[in-house]
Amino acid sequence: MERLKFIGKRLIYLVVMLLGVATLVFILTKMIPGDPTVANLSQRALNDPEIVAAFRAKYGLDKPIIVQYFMYIGNLLHLDLGTSIRTNNAVLAELMRCYPATIELAVFAIIIAAVFGILFGVISAVKRNSIIDQVVRALSVTGVSLPSFWFALLVLYFFYYKLKIMPGPGRLANAFSAPANVTGLYVIDSLLEGNIPKMLDALKHLILPGTVLAAFTMGLITRTTRSNLLDVMSTDYIRTARAKGLSRVSLILHHALGNALIPVLTVIGLGLGNLLGGMVLVETIFNWPGVGQFAYESVMSNDFPSIIGVALLIALNYMVINTVVDILYGVIDPRVRCQ
Amino acid sequence: MKRKMMALALGLTMVLGIAACGGGSSAPASSSAAETKAAAETEAAGESAEGGNTVVVAMGSGFSTLDPGYVYEKYPPMIVNACYETLFKFYSNDGAAEPNLVDTYEFSEDGLTLTMTLKDGIVFASGNPMTSADVAFSINRCKNLQGNPSFIASTIESIETPDDKTVIFHMNQVDSAILSKLTYSSMSVLDSEVVKAQGGTDAEDAATADTAQDYLNTTSAGSGMYVMTSYIPDQEIVLEKNANYWGQATNVDKFIVKIQPDSNTQMMTLSQGDIDVAMNMTDDTMAELAGNENITLVNAPTKTVGFLMMNMDEAIGGPVSNPLVQQAIRKAMDYTGVQTICGEGAVTPYSIIQVGFMGAKGERAADYQNLDEAKDLLKQAGYENGFDVDLVVTDLDMEGIALTDLAQKVKDDLAQIGINCNIVSSAWAAGYGDDYRDGKLGFTVMYWGTDYNDPNVQLEFLPGGVVGLRAGWTADMDPELAGLFQAAMEATDDADRTAVLEEIQDKTYENGPFLMIAQAPAHIGYNNRLDGVAVSDPYALDLTLINVK
Repeated sequence: MERLKFIGKRLIYLVVMLLGVATLVFILTKMIPGDPTVANLSQRALNDPEIVAAFRAKYGLDKPIIVQYFMYIGNLLHLDLGTSIRTNNAVLAELMRCYPATIELAVFAIIIAAVFGILFGVISAVKRNSIIDQVVRALSVTGVSLPSFWFALLVLYFFYYKLKIMPGPGRLANAFSAPANVTGLYVIDSLLEGNIPKMLDALKHLILPGTVLAAFTMGLITRTTRSNLLDVMSTDYIRTARAKGLSRVSLILHHALGNALIPVLTVIGLGLGNLLGGMVLVETIFNWPGVGQFAYESVMSNDFPSIIGVALLIALNYMVINTVVDILYGVIDPRVRCQ
Repeated sequence: MKRKMMALALGLTMVLGIAACGGGSSAPASSSAAETKAAAETEAAGESAEGGNTVVVAMGSGFSTLDPGYVYEKYPPMIVNACYETLFKFYSNDGAAEPNLVDTYEFSEDGLTLTMTLKDGIVFASGNPMTSADVAFSINRCKNLQGNPSFIASTIESIETPDDKTVIFHMNQVDSAILSKLTYSSMSVLDSEVVKAQGGTDAEDAATADTAQDYLNTTSAGSGMYVMTSYIPDQEIVLEKNANYWGQATNVDKFIVKIQPDSNTQMMTLSQGDIDVAMNMTDDTMAELAGNENITLVNAPTKTVGFLMMNMDEAIGGPVSNPLVQQAIRKAMDYTGVQTICGEGAVTPYSIIQVGFMGAKGERAADYQNLDEAKDLLKQAGYENGFDVDLVVTDLDMEGIALTDLAQKVKDDLAQIGINCNIVSSAWAAGYGDDYRDGKLGFTVMYWGTDYNDPNVQLEFLPGGVVGLRAGWTADMDPELAGLFQAAMEATDDADRTAVLEEIQDKTYENGPFLMIAQAPAHIGYNNRLDGVAVSDPYALDLTLINVK
């Protein structure tokens, strides 16, 4: 019952927050200088008052801003995010189109980051101040510091162009057509089609961009895991458990790691939220048609409905992830539940 | 243990929950339709870039529609030209418009009526025969949609279709560029029966009443060599041979057009054989492929031209409004240096008409720069010690060349004669666009892409023209040139037209507020297994001319 109340409160909070974000982004997009008419009509068309008037009327730009705002919020309450000025399609439809590509890449990247980040963090903590620790720490600093666009070009250049051992940009090789759209995730949709070669090809195409995106979050996870595990390992209850003769492996896995992972969970959540917002440059270099590319194109053409749509999506990502992380805290640590 | 299982389950729920947000059931009709179609395709295993008659082309991003009625950006004409046909067509980049769907055509004596007959046996991909009604529908639709390309049809007053084969254009003014305009992608002939069934209309209220754009964004309805079978936005477009094509087709069965914005990515995928044509190469990526025996590299000038604009209104332009200062600036510029910045293949046109257009007088002489002469001109203008001036530049690029780079070059060159340019940045959509259009900029570096492939588009740089007025150059300031503008518009005979255009170029060579500094080059790399790959200003790349050797 308590948990249901907690989730209920969270959902109400989420709706209020989304309305707040929508209002804020709407105001900001209207405040910044920039006219979608100038950004989207050709120089010739801009000279024709009839074409300009038709364009402004089509997208409601001829109405007072306050009217535009209430229309926007009214539509939002009906899950209508408006029409993209750039593509003339519904913004919700555009987000539905590009979001699965980002989800697929982000989830793949976060799995790599979490698995290897925690593993390296544990090794680094266990082998504290050893050569291995130094190497892992250097790697995690490198991962955090590498500019992703440069790293993306580098891995593409070596593993695809020079060594020819990884597939090139895109979600599938030319030999395959896109799978039937069920989830929008090519790996899963290919599997649902029963096409194993296509599924494997889609999976292979995730490796390079996934690794590039994982590098930053993995560095953070490694460092957080290491420092928290070291803290936990120096607590009294661990010392007691050690005195009772528990093996080192059992001590870490069964007693220390659980407590050390709570802050790590926050880092993973934030990392996933960041990845789901779309990574413009990495998506561009790997030709990945995700939210990042859509956001970039929308900003370049002052496509306000799309910009607000992307902002809402990013806000929703963080809110959902934070809610799930909060619930997971309670699962991992009973003290949180009690609070 | 239970606790861990719960944690695991929640974690999985989170991942799957987020994944489910991308569910296809609520996807838009347009995109889901396109993707479903793609899914329904037969697996193309083996039809890689290296085998079969599938050709993979990589192009840059940045287009909003594939509906011919709205098309105006750089890349959509490549797709539209493959799926639709126009009454006239350019078969080479520096040639004249030639009949395509048209069998015969004739101008009336006063030039205000153009009568043409359609060829026999033209059918759309749907199997419907093409008639004059389809032509009238398509052109009227484009005009009445009031979209970006509607101005192309602005000189057409009405279209008469006395029978299925005859189309009569009644013009509201003599328009010597009408045949070139009829080659433009937006003038493509649509299958009116199909388009009307999808909510298309050519009525005067088409701007609000027409609902066919969604359909035409993902499906073609033309008579071209190919049909669009799949379009996944920001990813790829698939074109397959039109089984009902009435003309002589090439031997390419299928085109996969990949959207790859990054030139490094294009270079690598071309080198690996994953694509056959890379359309957005740069000098650097071209150099990386130099010596690759499987790849041919093409550097050629486009008709997109960068220019300096010096406002004729002294209140706005200040010292650069002075004709002597304008000439000093012409003499001070290092055109070879500008071409180097633009990349291999760049040229500087003689005057306002680009190299490659009918009547163009070629390039400005390579040794035109003369700093002593420039300083002397400044002295005559009363600026012996030079002056300070704001050089406004915007955040756009000309075929990948940042205008800020060109502005920096202008600043460096003019510093040699004592003109100190203060570079002022202004975003296109946040002020520059309005100021430029309203003629409020005193001194700027800008570029001009041709709306349609005809020298008449350049007449707008003359006094009283659209661009001329942006520089404060009104018709009464140079009635002779303004008269030549009209004469060029009315010269429907090619020889007469060429003579007028040459005169215009001579009179603007060292006169007026514009200085064309360079035509941007296009850099294309392609696999040697192909024939017919060439730079094309009207279509970016003419897919209907490509064959596999």
